[in-house]
Parts: sequence; C-alpha cells; structure tokens
Amino acid sequence: MPITSFPEESQAAFLAIISEYPGEKRYIIPIMHHLNKYYHYLPRPALELTAQHTGVPFSQVYSMATFYKAFSLVPRGCHHFKVCDGTTCHIKGSRLITDELQKHLGIKIGETSSDRQFSMETVNCIGACAIAPALLADDKVYPRVTPASVRKIIQEYGGCSHDHS
Amino acid sequence: MTIPEASLSTHRILVCCGTGCLANGAWEVYQALRSSLQGQPASVHPVREAVATGCHGLCARGPFVRILPDDIVYCQVQAGDVAEIVASTLEGGPPIKRLLFRDAQTKQVLTRPEDFPFYRQQHKIVLRNVGEIDPTSLQDYLARGGYRSLEKALLMEPDDIINEVISAGLRGRGGGGFPTGVKWRACAQASGAPRYIICNGDEGDPGAFMDESVMEGDPHSVLEGMIIGARAVNASQGFIYVRDEYARSIICLQKAIEDARHAGFLGDRILNSDFSFDVELVRGGGAFVCGEETALMASIEGSIGEPRDKYRYPTESGLWGQPTLINNVETWANIPYILDKGAAHFASLGTAGSKGTKVFSVVGKAVHTGLVEVPMGSSLRHIIDDIAGGAPWGRQLKAVQIGGPSGGCIPEAMLDLEVDFDSLTGAGAMMGSGGIIVMDDRTCMVEVARYYMEFLAGESCGKCLPCREGIDYMLGILTRLCHGRGTEADLERLQDICTTLQAASLCNLGKTAPNPVLSTVKYFREEYLAHIQEHRCPAGICRDLTTFSIDPDLCNGCTLCLKFCPVDAIEGAAKQVHVIDQTRCIRCGECFEQCRQDAVVIGGR
Amino acid sequence: MKIVIDGREIEAQPESTILEAAQAAGIFIPTLCYHPAFGGQGHCRMCMVEVEPPLRLVASCAHPVFDGMIVRTTSPTLEKIRQTLVMLLYRRAPASELMGRLKADYLARAELWVKDPMESCILCRLCVNACQSLGPSAISASLRGTQKRVTTPYDEPSPDCIGCATCAHICPTGAIPVRVENGQRFIWNKSFELVHCPLCGEAFATREQLQYTAAKSQELAESPLCERCRRLEAAQHWGELPL
Repeated sequence: MPITSFPEESQAAFLAIISEYPGEKRYIIPIMHHLNKYYHYLPRPALELTAQHTGVPFSQVYSMATFYKAFSLVPRGCHHFKVCDGTTCHIKGSRLITDELQKHLGIKIGETSSDRQFSMETVNCIGACAIAPALLADDKVYPRVTPASVRKIIQEYGGCSHDHS
Repeated sequence: MTIPEASLSTHRILVCCGTGCLANGAWEVYQALRSSLQGQPASVHPVREAVATGCHGLCARGPFVRILPDDIVYCQVQAGDVAEIVASTLEGGPPIKRLLFRDAQTKQVLTRPEDFPFYRQQHKIVLRNVGEIDPTSLQDYLARGGYRSLEKALLMEPDDIINEVISAGLRGRGGGGFPTGVKWRACAQASGAPRYIICNGDEGDPGAFMDESVMEGDPHSVLEGMIIGARAVNASQGFIYVRDEYARSIICLQKAIEDARHAGFLGDRILNSDFSFDVELVRGGGAFVCGEETALMASIEGSIGEPRDKYRYPTESGLWGQPTLINNVETWANIPYILDKGAAHFASLGTAGSKGTKVFSVVGKAVHTGLVEVPMGSSLRHIIDDIAGGAPWGRQLKAVQIGGPSGGCIPEAMLDLEVDFDSLTGAGAMMGSGGIIVMDDRTCMVEVARYYMEFLAGESCGKCLPCREGIDYMLGILTRLCHGRGTEADLERLQDICTTLQAASLCNLGKTAPNPVLSTVKYFREEYLAHIQEHRCPAGICRDLTTFSIDPDLCNGCTLCLKFCPVDAIEGAAKQVHVIDQTRCIRCGECFEQCRQDAVVIGGR
Repeated sequence: MKIVIDGREIEAQPESTILEAAQAAGIFIPTLCYHPAFGGQGHCRMCMVEVEPPLRLVASCAHPVFDGMIVRTTSPTLEKIRQTLVMLLYRRAPASELMGRLKADYLARAELWVKDPMESCILCRLCVNACQSLGPSAISASLRGTQKRVTTPYDEPSPDCIGCATCAHICPTGAIPVRVENGQRFIWNKSFELVHCPLCGEAFATREQLQYTAAKSQELAESPLCERCRRLEAAQHWGELPL
C-alpha cells in the first residue's frame, strides 16, 4: 500500500520509532503510545508504516487508533487540558470547569485552537477523586478547581515548549 | 539462595506522594525536605531520611508528612513549611500547631495516626505497606517481610498453594467476586502450554483508585502475588495491564519488575528453584471496557478491546487461546499476606461469604475523602460516618453510589447494610472495585443515571446490539427527563430495556449497565416523578428545570453570592437584600453553595 | 452427542455450536449477524436461546453443544428480548427494508424518534468479515460505543480496496451503495474500471480484483473469463475428456 506523502525526513523519524518494536501485532498499541507521546497525535503516514511493519491491514490499525481514547488522530495543542468528568468530579461541578475552559480558550471539547496552542477534552476519571473536581493540564493535576482558578491555570500555560506538531 | 536481610531506618520522614498529595504540591515538599536533610552535620545520629511514599489515604487533607519515630502527622504541608519542620520538630521541639490535623466536627487537634478516627478504625492488609515504604525500593519491601511468602510457596506443592487460597475464602476484588482459589484450580487443571498470568490493573470505575494506590505505593506485593500464582498454576509468562491514565503506576511497576528480576525473584530459576517466570508491563490504550477480562486479553494481543462470549473460560482458553489466570491488582496483593499469615487467619476476617478486607475509596460529598480498608461486612454507615466523617457542613446525605457504572445507588435509609459481595448484589448495586461516591441533597439522581448512560455510551465497545443501542436509547430517555420532557411511560420503557440488556448483552458491561438506572428508579422514584409531573429538579441540578431565587426575609446582604456569581447575575449592595436576574442566571448553583443563611431557594421551571 | 432442541432429540456434532446443530436438524433460530462462512460473531443476540442445565440464556451462535443439553428456541422471555432487539435495531436503521419487515413480524413498537432516518446499516459486520477473509481487509469497524460504524480508514477511498463488492453482496440490508456507470464500478467513494469477459463481453470484475485473485492463487490468467463462461468452458473441457 502506498504511504501518504509526507516529508521524507518525517518518514525516517516515524520509522526510527516504529522499528524499535518487533514487527508483531501485539506491539501496535506500544508503537501508538510512542508516536502519540512524541507527536501528540498519530500522523496518518506513521499509522500506514505501523501497518506495514506489523503486517496488519491498515484498516485494522485505523480501527484501533479510533477505538482507544489515548490516541488522537488530529494534532493536539502545545498544551492539552483534560477535564476530569469521572462521577465524583461530575457531581462536584466539572461541567462548570468545562464551560469556563471553553469560554476562555475559544474552543470546544475535542478541539484544538487555530494557533495550535491549546486543545481540550473531557476524560473519565483520572483517579484523583478525593480532590475533585480535578483538571489535568499537560501532566500536572490541579485539585479542587473552580471557575475562578481556571483562568489562573490558563495563564500559567502561555508559551509553547515543543514543536513536533 | 536466601533473601537478604533488610531493615528500615527508624528515623524516617514519610512524605505522601499519592496522586492527591502530588496535586497539592507534595513533590515540592519532598524535594525541600531532602535538600534540607542533605545539609545535616555528619555527627547527627541517627541520620534522618526523607522517603516519598504511596498514598496515606486521607487525600482530602494532603500533602501529608509523617515524622518517625515520634509519629507526628502534619497535613496540608507546603514546601515553605519545611524549614520550620527541620528546625523545630526534628530538633525535638513541640509539634507545629498549624500543621496538625484539626477534626472539623470535634474540633480536636490530632497528632499521631492512632488518634485519627480515620486511621484507627481501619484494618490494613492490602494497604499494609502503602504509605509506609518507598515504592521504588526493593529493600524497603524486603524490610517489611516482602518475598518471604514466595520463598515459602517455592517449597510448597502447587496444589497446596491453591488449597490455601481456597480455604482463605478470597474472592476476586475486581468486581464479580468469583472465588479466587477455584479459578486457580480450574487453570491448573486445564491442559496446554504456555500458560499465562495476568494482573488486571485497568481500574476504570470512576471514583475508584485503590488499585492505583497499590500499584503506586506497593508494587512488589502485586508482583509477589503474581509469582506465587504462576507457581501454583505453572505459568511461565505474566502480564500487568495498566490503565493508560496511571502514569505513576507504570513507572513504579516497571522499576519493581527490573529490581525483582535483578534480585532473582523473576526470570530463570527463581531463587535457585526449578521454577521460571517473567512479567511484562502492558500499557492500556484508554478504554473502560478493557477492564473486562476478554477485552483486556484482546487488547494485549493487539486488537480492539472487544469482549467475546465467555462460554469457554479464560482459565481454559485465554490469551492467545492458552490457559490464562487473570486477577485484579487488589486480589494479587492479598496473596502474599494469605501465605504469610495463613488461610485461617485471613478467613477469620469478614462475613460468611466474603472473607478478608476490602479497600474502598470514599469520595464525593464526604469530609475525609480518601482510601479506607475495612473488614468485609462493615456497614456503609460506619465507613462513611465514623471513618470518612460523613457529609460536610451539615449537608443531608442522600445516597451512596457504589460499584461504578455497574453498581447502583443505595439510599441513606439503607446505609446500615453490611457490605460484602452478596449484600450489595441483593440491594441492586455491586461491589465493583469498591468506589463509594457519597451524594447529598445537591445531587440529582435522574442526572446521575443520565451521567452513567452517557459514560457507558462512550465506553461501550459497540460490538453487541443490546448494549450499543440500548444504552443510546436509555440515554435519550434520561436526557429528555432531565430537560423536563419525559413522561411516566418513559419509566416503563426504561424498565423494559433494562431487562433486555441484563439478559442479552454479551459481556458484564452491558449486563450491569442497567444498575444505575434501575436502582435510582427503584429508590428515588419521587425524584423522577418531580421531573416528569412538576417539571422540577429537587436538587437544583437540571438547568432547564431549576431557578434560583433569594428569600428576602433570610438574606442578610453579605454579598458572598454576588462575589461568586460567574456571570454577574446577582444585584445588591452590602447589608441589602440581593436579587438574582433570571435572564442572566445560568443556574450553576454557585450562590446556593456559598450562602450561609440558606437564603438561596431552589425553585422549579 | 445427543441434545434436545424444542423437545426434539437430535444428534449433534461435538464442537459444533447450538445454532449449527439446530440448522443441521432443520430447526430455525433467528439470526442477523450469522453467516456460515464466518461462524458466530455474537453481535446481534437475536439467536439467544434458553439452555438447561442449569437454566440460562446464551447466544446459540457462540455456545458449544454438550451432551444432554436441553435447548428451547422460543419462550415468552425470548420473544420479548427479540422484540426489544428489533425495536432497538429498527430505531438505528429505519431505512432498511429488512428491519421494516422484522418490525412487522415481531410487532415491535416504532419509537417516535429514530437516530437517522436514512440509515440502513445494522452493524452486523458481515461486510468487514467478508473483506477480511476474501479480500484485502479494506474496511473495518471504527470508533466505539454508540459511535461505532463501518468505514474505510479516514472515510477516504482506500488504497487497499479492490472494488470486488463482496461487502455489498453479503450485506443483508443493502447498506453499502455500489453502482455501475459507463463501464465503471463505484463503491466506497472509489471508482474502478470494469474488465470485459473476452467470450460474452460482460463487464464482470475490476482489474484490481483480478490482479488480487491472481496474486493470491499465484496463477496468471491471461484473459480471465467471467464466472458463467468459465463454468461453461470447464464443462466443455470435461465433456471432451475420454470416459
């Protein structure tokens, strides 16, 4: 199967990651984790190369990429906000956090801002129920978030520290 | 080969680095302590040592610092407090008052863990090491008697290990409560090689984080349990499947696996015996359904996590079609304890049908939210009121949701229920992984049912018809109800669909999906009827059915509601009666939460 | 081994499923996602039956037979379940003729609100199975939960698709559009040039399809014939052979 055109240096970079893993079906998820960590999403050519490497049809690799929520098929922002909407956070008002974030970032759940600075999603329970409602900004957990503290948190995330996307 | 002797230093300072405390700045506290202690003069004896531990349980008041051997507990410690702790407490000064735990209800100031009602009434087996040791240190685990049970197991006949687990009466802590030893025997008797061991660490129930706490706080106990299990069923390879969201668990387990391998507890010829076994860590992809064992195995094999009909058990035909023994984190962590103390000791705890202890995460509208381990058969009231301090600020406790999306809501009137696997199933809930979510009068039970259906609509794998379409249908009805557009016939419809889902769904996600709906309809029917007949949400949560207004007789003009209103919909000046502008109000309820005079009134549409 | 289905004792092949045993004995069990070529998938749950001992409900397409098993293919409980399943599936795929018929057969209630009035896919995934076992696996079930659907990757024309249209042929509800225009076949947003049979001139297969089959069977057919002409030629060939 032809690989969707992409700058050659990127292809080499994808292959460098993919070929770290044995060419077996069971390594598809680990490869996706690795790609997702590095690029903050799964670029299509990288998935095509993953299919080639593991000998699994591309449609099945795509099916997995859309099934598992850890992976994104569209580029995420430099800073990714996850609003926990587990039961505890939900009954403690996570929807107010979501509303406030959407208002200040100007994007909806699952979207990325046009300058690729921010993206946000809601997730089901990050295991921080005792300090609900919680917000995960990149890898940092913020406890007992209120609409007022959302504004302060956003201000902490001004610049872009990586440029893989 | 024998296990080297190890001991813990008596002068340790334990800094809780569980998820809750980390979010509150525990890592900064730990770093500050370490650098202060590095400056200790060499003459100081014994040397004080800062240890980053797993969760201490009382997450609501973290970060926690526990100073040994004096056993002083400080809570809500910040990095700025460290200098004072080092200069005063470590020099034998009196405890720092402001950092001590003050019980909100009794106003008592508590110093040592045994003074805390929260800790005093617990019985720790699974959490025996969590919070006591550095989870990244094998030496710490060994000092607490770690891997002695494995040493014992290697000298036992596999059958005797299985019999020990059977007579302990241990039941699977992942939710279903299947007798663990019986499962082990079925796997041991199945034919085929290689055989696999799996640890299910895909803890997905929202509101439950006990497995996370064990994986982060005492990873070797899980590994030791798995190695013993592998020995009992003669398995050669193990997998630990960890939920994607648990980044710290992954780090701690990976370190534990490497250390165990290095020390000869994993790999070829474990402890010079003829038994070989190794473990691999698998990171999940972010799918709740992968907590279902057949879906989990599909995920390890590199497919989408869709369950299959279990007419042949995994013990017979599991991972790659081979005999596979799969237990959850908490179950595995019980195993070394059972072998160490004996089945009889373990079986002396708990109820007739459920032995040992259970870890619950008590969260939601309770004062001391966190992790609680109690013997099976403790009453919900004991867990919530006596240990977790009940509902806050004199709020009315209304219900507890137990068992996650597979569980149900139990009303306040039934809190004397003694919880074990069977009593909960009888009440229309389920043990699940043991998440207890406390709900008060500001929780709408119709909206809770809707929430769970929305959760499951996104988390169902979508393979079988009843689950995929039935949940979507129920979500549609419940959404209508929350918007005040439902009818009484909708309640009948819900009942009908629930029966079909329970009977016809492929896996337990679908079979138990009706529980949140059925239990709320059963115990909170009036609340459903208020939505249908009066277009009113008694909890003031469903926005379309709620208005907030201020009772002029009760308002004292404190301006608190005005300050917190996110849309400036409240007008009024200090010491004057406030008024809510209904055209601007978004019905978030912030004013109701803030008002100390009970002047904010919830009304219908 | 002996099993009893609806009061009739029948001899069943060990290792077979209840559904296979019933079909071999001419006993009808309703199915939607079952095809003998792929075995039971367990998706649609229409084939649920009551089994003893101990009494329980199982999917007959997946459950193996065992000696002394007693099976009931209908009961008030089962009929109720099937009726609800048909109602749910009709709500999903109201545009499907099959679902319209089943709705009438099972006297299922029509819900006031359907998800998409134009939808006819019932997600039985026979197409996915067919493409996987007979073709290049160009389509798959993507997403999950209530969003699940059958697609090509990224909903774009798949480079793997050979346009064989097996998916469309096996689909019980005609949910996969395929059309032929000016010697071209259009399917899954992709067009394929059709090859004509050198004997009868019928446009019978796509070039990609023939190449795929040739590669699979490692045979090079220079000018492949259509199914009918190939059979005819084979029959003539056998007829010419001395007996």
